[in-house]
Amino acid sequence: MNKKVLASFFATVLAVTTLAGCGGSSSAGTPALGSTDGSAPAANASAGKQTDGKNLPTLTTEPLTITLWDIATEEPAKSAQEGAVQRFMADYPNITVNQVHQQNDNYKQQLVVAMSSGQAPNMYIHWGGGPMAEYYKSGFANDITDMYAKYDHPDFVDAAVAQSTYDGKMLAIPFGGLSGCDIFYNKTIFKENGLEVPKTIDELETVCAKLKEKGIVPFSLANASKWTGSMYYMYLVARHSGNAEFDAAYTQENGGSFTSDAFVYAGTKIQDWVKKGYFPDGVNSLTADDNQDRALLYDGSAAMMLHGSWQVAGIKTDNEDWYKENIGVFRFPEDSEAKAKGVPQDVEIGTAIGNGFSFNCFNADKSVNQEMLDACYVLATQYYNDDTYNQMQMEGGNIPSIKGFDSKVDDPNNKVVVDVFFNASNVQLWYDQYLPASVTEVHKNCMTELFGLEKTPEQIGQEQDDAMKKAIAGQ
Amino acid sequence: MKNDNKVGLAQARAKSIAVAATVFLLPALLLITIFIIYPVIDTFVISGYKWNGISSDRIFAGMENWNALIHDEMFWKSFRHNLIVMVFSIVLQIPIGMLLATFLDAGGKKFNIFKIIWFLPYLMSSVAIAFLFNYALATNGGLISSFASLIQGKKATIDLLGTAPNALYTVIGVMAWQFTPFYMVYFIAGYGNIDTSIYEAAVIDGATRWQYIKHIAIPLLGPIFKTACTMSLIGSLKYFDMIWNMTQGGPAGSTELMATYMYKLSFQQFNMGYGSTVAAGMFLLITAIALIFNKAFKVKEDY
Repeated sequence: MNKKVLASFFATVLAVTTLAGCGGSSSAGTPALGSTDGSAPAANASAGKQTDGKNLPTLTTEPLTITLWDIATEEPAKSAQEGAVQRFMADYPNITVNQVHQQNDNYKQQLVVAMSSGQAPNMYIHWGGGPMAEYYKSGFANDITDMYAKYDHPDFVDAAVAQSTYDGKMLAIPFGGLSGCDIFYNKTIFKENGLEVPKTIDELETVCAKLKEKGIVPFSLANASKWTGSMYYMYLVARHSGNAEFDAAYTQENGGSFTSDAFVYAGTKIQDWVKKGYFPDGVNSLTADDNQDRALLYDGSAAMMLHGSWQVAGIKTDNEDWYKENIGVFRFPEDSEAKAKGVPQDVEIGTAIGNGFSFNCFNADKSVNQEMLDACYVLATQYYNDDTYNQMQMEGGNIPSIKGFDSKVDDPNNKVVVDVFFNASNVQLWYDQYLPASVTEVHKNCMTELFGLEKTPEQIGQEQDDAMKKAIAGQ
Repeated sequence: MKNDNKVGLAQARAKSIAVAATVFLLPALLLITIFIIYPVIDTFVISGYKWNGISSDRIFAGMENWNALIHDEMFWKSFRHNLIVMVFSIVLQIPIGMLLATFLDAGGKKFNIFKIIWFLPYLMSSVAIAFLFNYALATNGGLISSFASLIQGKKATIDLLGTAPNALYTVIGVMAWQFTPFYMVYFIAGYGNIDTSIYEAAVIDGATRWQYIKHIAIPLLGPIFKTACTMSLIGSLKYFDMIWNMTQGGPAGSTELMATYMYKLSFQQFNMGYGSTVAAGMFLLITAIALIFNKAFKVKEDY
């Protein structure tokens, strides 16, 4: 009798814990399979697949399930990405794609937890840079260099391929479109005050001084998010030294340091601007997540905002008429002194891949699960990144990082963004994506301290050096 | 059940009680083992490794992480923040909770409406509270800044969360707002536990309400005080959720607590090994402080 009681207790407890274990992984809504809502043009079997005639791996005819994680919780990304998956499943009915939309805020942590507990998705979104390298080194990203060379794929721009590569290996297929970083400004305010778009940093400072005189905050910045303030820092460094000093600081070799000339220049400039009131009050407690920086542009209290080009889509969605009437964009002004010394002024900040998909298709013995990898490759290159998908991307204000799309842009501001991007000699990925994860945290804290005037540019340089040295030693 | 002659009734009864106790305790014990004991042990095990949290190979590092922890300024800084939070939590939440409870106890049923209203903050989730206060304290269009602008007649910015010393005290204030109701209810229960005969005896002896509270009720609440302090102490040393949602430890680490630091290391910076060391260090520190506290404040429970 005792045995029975015990057994049933154990069974109950086990059932409870199993359920608890499942709860975490499937909390985000999984769209009902096969619920084509009519928006996706159903390519039925008789019309052939949209991959027919292309040089692609032959996919299995056996049942196969792929788990895909993305962060498309909101429109328009949601329909665009669900559409791609639906088209794929319509063409390959034996393959089931279990598409899970994760919340962006804690997505990276979710992914780490999933990987450490053996629940990692087979195909997952990321932003390239340091984390992508970490996933690969830990055995959660397939090396697709050979497949990429052998099979068809969209003609991605070089910068996108470069940012999908780590250590000479292709690890991701881009699908999020490129993002530049430029200064958005209120055309009306500029016109009313007789201001011209500045070409050099000196001119920019003159503009700021004039705006300040009129009681308008020159830059809208929400620096509680920290990566927003980092944009100013990155650009000032890039204009003062091209890529040279950042690359040197990144390796910490040959005298490279975050305390070198360009970093001190950038930090000093920023603190000077803070002291002159060129940024809003309480800059460190405004957050970009709920668009408090955009809000300052909207109510006319600020005139300019250095930000990622996704702002075009954002502002447009908020109020298209206001956007058309008031918002212009210009590239970050040049450093005329550095230019005279021959420092290139066409190193830009941004990302060429936006988001990439990496694949985690391995068998239990850690050999590559080629069957699944083939399917993921076809899905990522031919259904994401297909005409329908790209069309939806363009409508949402995103620019696919595929050659030729620069000429199709019709939004005047996006045209500027694209021109800046395609004329760049080099596109530096955001520091907070590019640096190793431990350094990123330090860098972001440094941005708070810099804008809060709590530490000098030399001090934050030193902190970043220490973190970088530690990260290099730890590898 | 067959009753052998050799086994006495008392023995049989003792045996069946033991069996029943085992059966009833097993599920709880099992759950505690799975969700508390095992993770704690595993945390200590992982703290000896260099591990990014996802890779299959962990490199054994011996005491390297622990050595780093002892010299880690950021860890001790967050520990100091925890101590500040702890002191202020005890100093703010418990006396205020006590005052409110005394007020409600004196008022009886007609003050029930206050009881309900004052208890509401505790019913809200920490995340909701974090967002609520983030909006209220926002420098651009937040409640406080807008109010200040109204009074001054020009745009005023009161930056409570964006600058270094303010942020920590602001967060402590919000925590007090959240948890005081809990202690209020706790003390109401404490008052309720005091036998009415004691109150009646005091009244017959001519004690005023105030004298009763000062000389009889409060001393009798001693054990309750101690438990409340211990709970507040442990709670503020391991606090995480609301701080994480309000400031994420910022600006520049000025509201970093041990728990937020641990979370950042483990899940954002690919440093699960060291993150576990921080967690283990937290475990040791909190246990030590709680033990010392219990030893230092021995309260007699009899009257």
